[in-house]
Amino acid sequence: MRIAVLVKQVPSTDKVKMDEETGTMVRSAMDAELNPLDLYAVEEAVRAKEKTEETEITVISMGPPAAASAIKEAIAMGCDKGVLLSDKVFSGADTWATARTLSSAIEKIGPYDLIFAGERATDGETGQVGPSVAAQLDMPVLTYVSKIREVNGARIVVERAVEGGHEVVEASLPALVSVVKEINEPRIPTLKGKIRAKQTEVPVMTAQDVGLDAAHAGLLGSPTRVVKVFYPSLSRNGTIVDGRDPERAVNALVQFLKDKALV
Amino acid sequence: MEYSKVTPAIVDELKAIFGERNVLTDPEKLEAYASDEAGKQWLHMPEVVVKAENEDQIVQLMKLANREHVPVTPRGAGSGLAGSCVPVYGGIVLSMEKMNRILEIDEVNMVAVCEPGVVTNDLCKAVADKGLFYAGYPMSVEESYIGANVVTNAGGAKVVKYGSTRSHVLGIECISATGEKLVLGGKRRKETSGYSLLQLMVGSEGTLAVVTKVIINLTVPPNMTVDLLVPFANFDDAVKASSNVIRTTKVYPITMEFMDIFSVKTTVEHLKLPAFPAQDQAAAYLLFTLEGKNQDELDELAEKAGTACLDMGALDVFVASTKTESDKLWTVRQQMPSVVLEKFPHMLAGDVVVPRSEVAEFIVKARDIMTKYPDLQLFFFGHIGDGNIHPNILDKESRSNQAWIEYSEKVYGELCMLGAQMGGTVSGEHGIGLGKKHVLSQALGEYPIALMRGIKEVFDPNGILNPGKIFDLK
Repeated sequence: MRIAVLVKQVPSTDKVKMDEETGTMVRSAMDAELNPLDLYAVEEAVRAKEKTEETEITVISMGPPAAASAIKEAIAMGCDKGVLLSDKVFSGADTWATARTLSSAIEKIGPYDLIFAGERATDGETGQVGPSVAAQLDMPVLTYVSKIREVNGARIVVERAVEGGHEVVEASLPALVSVVKEINEPRIPTLKGKIRAKQTEVPVMTAQDVGLDAAHAGLLGSPTRVVKVFYPSLSRNGTIVDGRDPERAVNALVQFLKDKALV
Repeated sequence: MEYSKVTPAIVDELKAIFGERNVLTDPEKLEAYASDEAGKQWLHMPEVVVKAENEDQIVQLMKLANREHVPVTPRGAGSGLAGSCVPVYGGIVLSMEKMNRILEIDEVNMVAVCEPGVVTNDLCKAVADKGLFYAGYPMSVEESYIGANVVTNAGGAKVVKYGSTRSHVLGIECISATGEKLVLGGKRRKETSGYSLLQLMVGSEGTLAVVTKVIINLTVPPNMTVDLLVPFANFDDAVKASSNVIRTTKVYPITMEFMDIFSVKTTVEHLKLPAFPAQDQAAAYLLFTLEGKNQDELDELAEKAGTACLDMGALDVFVASTKTESDKLWTVRQQMPSVVLEKFPHMLAGDVVVPRSEVAEFIVKARDIMTKYPDLQLFFFGHIGDGNIHPNILDKESRSNQAWIEYSEKVYGELCMLGAQMGGTVSGEHGIGLGKKHVLSQALGEYPIALMRGIKEVFDPNGILNPGKIFDLK
């Protein structure tokens, strides 16, 4: 079986800082890591490999050259190899342009029986890239997958976390599966895995390599724009009920809840 | 020691000093100030609790307490394990919870000036925002107060590299037991001016003076770190590896922790956490943090130390290089003390420290001693890198509280004497308080205790400040 995992490098969750004036994220190369939600996709792929003989996992990411370290993190966990899609013309891509770049690469280096993606990236928070890749590759997409029940050569059966319960869905392969946190507990890489990852070369594919022209990639190829990023304003004008006279305080609280139609 | 009771007139006077809202007499509220993290085994109700907001109130309090001969027990967050903040003779508990301001982060002198009730983790975060680093890291970092870290000379996981709290204290302001203000040390970095009263205060467990302000040394943060979790199928292999890895590779860690499988499984199951790596094959783990200038250096150190562990019988080496991964490991280690204390009401939190070279032999001999007591279980987790391996003792039977205290203290005394004979001592970081008093005099002998008692008398002639701790007053 051939598996691909789509990953993204994001700013480390403990180091995210916002520029108060411009409303943009302050980034530096040192403070980046593999998107924490992608770890579940990587883990699920590695588990599938452990169950099925002759399975090969390729990690694919679009990003700056430094994003190779995110791919190596996935290799350290047990993936076999990686490809980094990196080109100046890819920068500024929205979710559609990102998905187009990823799917063009997959068409070049694929086909894959199964493509895994995380639920969303912790920086952009859109959750659109995985499904969009599936749409552009015209394959079934299974989102919010919380359990893989069965995979065989031709089909996959999964459980999806939906409001109020789980849905069991069957799809034909190839398919794209985006997973939620409940699906597994990502492993911590071993030293041997880390050494292997360090020794693994991650080839870079440019726009030309994936067969895209500049008009269909990056900012130019993006139909949407982030117009403004701002902090939501918080207003907590609390009411303090004076508790020195308990009976009056309780009556005041009950009245407040009634007024707000909360009881 | 005999003390006077807190009378209604004294309560009125306390209300005049501290304000009505800062004086508690309701028994339900007092109960929260009657014990520490070690639980109900040392439960002594205060007669009244006062919450100080400034040092003048403490001056007045100490004068009143001396005049009325009422004991005063200073208290931080109550996260201690030796009963140091338990009001064993009742009287007044002086809570520092409201003196909780970070007064200054001085970037030129690289110090933080704090009131004693600042939660240590809040201080860590505040200095990190300025690109600075506080190197103290007690396991209770999220609850305990910096002032209490100072007066107990708190240790923790990073002592192996950075030293205990003592190494980070540059200045203390305090009110002596007789109500005199003392300014010790300051923002200066050097001092050879007479006896160091500053260092005398550190670790004095609030028996000499009440700390009202601390000046804490800051440094620059480590560049990059990585955590290695190393499971061993054989318990003794893990213990031996702890000292041999440092000796053979010269890779010096920021932390090096030891956890036996009992401690790990108890914590993981109690907190309903996902299974720990290799928990079905491991008998014990080492967990250590390495620091490097850049990724390449860090990789090299991790490979060196990790490969050495594998050569010494490790099952595997797990490398946590992101915060997500690191938190998974450290949550288990950090929560371990509170989980075992919560789960087992009759547990003695051991605190023996020996030179690193003696740890392996100490553990072998400690286990030998414990074969005499099949009704007790011995288990270990602790700071093996600095030799402070906590030999914890657990009651397998349901004894009464008093019977447990007497029995466990007797058995722990044997472990302490073993440690003392091997160049160690009875408490590495928990302090003496009530819990280790009986073993301190055994281990040190009479003369050092007599000197300490003499010092206590100079500071506190009436014996009213945190009496009954470290040693008995005569």
